[in-house]
Amino acid sequence: MSNSTFNSPEFNKRLARRHAAERRFKLIGLGAIVISLAFLALLLFIMMRNGLGGLNWDFLSGSDSTDPHVAGIWGAAKGSILTMLVTLLLSFPMGVLAAIYLEEFAPRSRWIELVEVSINNLAAVPSIIFGLLGLAVFINTLGMPRSSPLVGGLTLALMTMPVIVISGRNAIKAVPPSIRDAALAVGASKVQAVFHHVLPLALPGILTGTIIGMARALGETAPLLMIGMRAFIVTPPDGITAPSSVLPMQIFLWSDEIDKAFVQNTSAAIIVLLVFLLVMNGLAIYLRNKFEVRW
Amino acid sequence: MIGLGFVGWFAARGRARLLYTGRGSMHSMPGYHGWHMALWILVPALLAWAAWSAIMPGLVDGAVLADPIAAQLPDGDMHRASILADARNMAANPDAVAFDPLAQELAVPMRAAQSRFGMIGGILVLIVALAGGGYGFTRVRAGFPARTHVERAVLALLLIASLMAILTTFGIVASLLFEAGLFFKDVSPIAFLTGTHWAPGNARGVDIDGNFGAVPLFWGTIYIGAIIAMLVAIPLGLMSAIYLTQYASSSIRKWVKPILEILAGIPTVVYGYFAALTVAPLIRDTAASLGVANPSTESALAAGLVMGVMIIPFVSSMADDALAAVPRAMSDGSLALGATRSETIKKVLLPAALPGIVAGVMLAISRAIGETMIVVMAAGAAARLSANPLASMTTVTYQIVQMLTGDQEFNSPKTLSAFALGLVLFVVTLILNIIALRVVKRFREAYE
Repeated sequence: MSNSTFNSPEFNKRLARRHAAERRFKLIGLGAIVISLAFLALLLFIMMRNGLGGLNWDFLSGSDSTDPHVAGIWGAAKGSILTMLVTLLLSFPMGVLAAIYLEEFAPRSRWIELVEVSINNLAAVPSIIFGLLGLAVFINTLGMPRSSPLVGGLTLALMTMPVIVISGRNAIKAVPPSIRDAALAVGASKVQAVFHHVLPLALPGILTGTIIGMARALGETAPLLMIGMRAFIVTPPDGITAPSSVLPMQIFLWSDEIDKAFVQNTSAAIIVLLVFLLVMNGLAIYLRNKFEVRW
Repeated sequence: MIGLGFVGWFAARGRARLLYTGRGSMHSMPGYHGWHMALWILVPALLAWAAWSAIMPGLVDGAVLADPIAAQLPDGDMHRASILADARNMAANPDAVAFDPLAQELAVPMRAAQSRFGMIGGILVLIVALAGGGYGFTRVRAGFPARTHVERAVLALLLIASLMAILTTFGIVASLLFEAGLFFKDVSPIAFLTGTHWAPGNARGVDIDGNFGAVPLFWGTIYIGAIIAMLVAIPLGLMSAIYLTQYASSSIRKWVKPILEILAGIPTVVYGYFAALTVAPLIRDTAASLGVANPSTESALAAGLVMGVMIIPFVSSMADDALAAVPRAMSDGSLALGATRSETIKKVLLPAALPGIVAGVMLAISRAIGETMIVVMAAGAAARLSANPLASMTTVTYQIVQMLTGDQEFNSPKTLSAFALGLVLFVVTLILNIIALRVVKRFREAYE
């Protein structure tokens, strides 16, 4: 190898050009991240600037009103809580039981394959389609009360269940077979092995998935718009069949108001919603870190 | 009833305990006998209750119609049914105000009939529960395999839960097809799918076909969701995935990735508000200062831009997975030959990961075109075929919301058109998802 090939000016120039291209590429990558994060920061900053001034006890404990200075968030928050309660009570047991069945008991058959395909697809169906389903089935066919947390919760439960099933299956799959084998070896039945040994070990993972699914449901607006949860409600709902609003819907309704003073309300409501979501996601991360076992 | 179940559980367990005479004397643990008994009480009772609630309204109506006041009811079926519904409402809720004085009068016998049949139903359910419990109790024996029976019931429950998914899918398809079918009775599917004029407001009588042309909606959806949003999301998402997986140190990666994921966790209504409050006016003012005449506040650009940002983490994590699936030996080989990192990424990694990335982009598109709140709040209602990003444009999801949130009667073609649009949206996203999932699967297998 002659020395001149690696020391010629052309070679050095080419090398410098290639290194410059390398640096440029790296900078573009960094730039992409910075732009994305800057957007997030801008969004949070604008909501804070507009909304922090409106956060006070009256706002947190009041209900919707045509007067922006009186309007508060509690009515919608209570609606959200009731809706989430219905969603959780339905989607969690259903999702966990379905995950257990599919992961531990299901025979390999065409039917089960159909179930799996439909769960994977349901997880990717646009949320507004679930709203159309809720409107057509729960309200028009079964005659349940419009705008109620019951119907909202049912609709969101159908949407959340696939998420719980998928994360539940992953959590159950992560429990090593030796646990099952040990239980079976000392005479437990298959059902006992699963319910007494596999499920408790998989539970943190399932709960993490459930919380993430619930956080998604809490921020969801479009399906609830379909089932009419956009009514103007001045009193907090007293039950799951009373007409009600939910937090994201309140944000949507206020964002439509002409009165400039509602900008503050909307932003403050967004802060409240984001805090809720942050707490839920934080809880999910905490659960995962605290209870996750690496086998 | 649950109390009764508890009683049964304790009774059977207690009796089973008495039967225990030493190791191996019984097939099942006493607790299983308890569960077996509780199931025998609860399941038949629940079935009886469900059956009774299904037939009770008919019996109540029959009793009310036999009442002398009911003789004044008009003959028309619809009117009759509406007065009865009114009376039912009155009976359930004493504060309600009836539209018809007749309903007011009927509420009294209605309430009486309801309480009478409710009582009969309650007694019936109780008898069934006791009979089931009695049968269950007689089966508590040392040799009785209670555990096997209980476990069979548990498996049935699990199976039912997993069938819910199919039921949901079936429910979606059935309701969309049914309502869209009603719509296509009035409007020809060809006019709907190929027409270019969308004005459901003036759709009446003969020219109904001409006003339900959904092409501008499809165009708006594709333009905002698949073009503008992807122009934002693909470069930013892909480049951040490349930087995070190839350049960033693991400590930076550990911090930046979750923060980036926050973008995906923010509710869409917040993005919509941000788009309408900040991004759209910004774009309008910029356009105005650049000399564009009368830029509108609602623009396809604002909605698409914000939607693109929302999709970034999604594209980024899909690209992340695709890049991670490429075997290390491939990039190591390229680096060993003297290629720089960026050359390796561009010439080796990206081509190898391309199928996975394309599948990820398809999933991202399917998510973007189904997105509702951002376009509802920022894109506008005008259905037009235009390539101008500053024009206000409408999408399929926007129109679904628009058609269903007004106060029209339910069966007008206008409201039904929402279900036809929903059907199109469902089919398109389904196809995108199925293809993408299949590509991802094949791509993974290729490198395993």
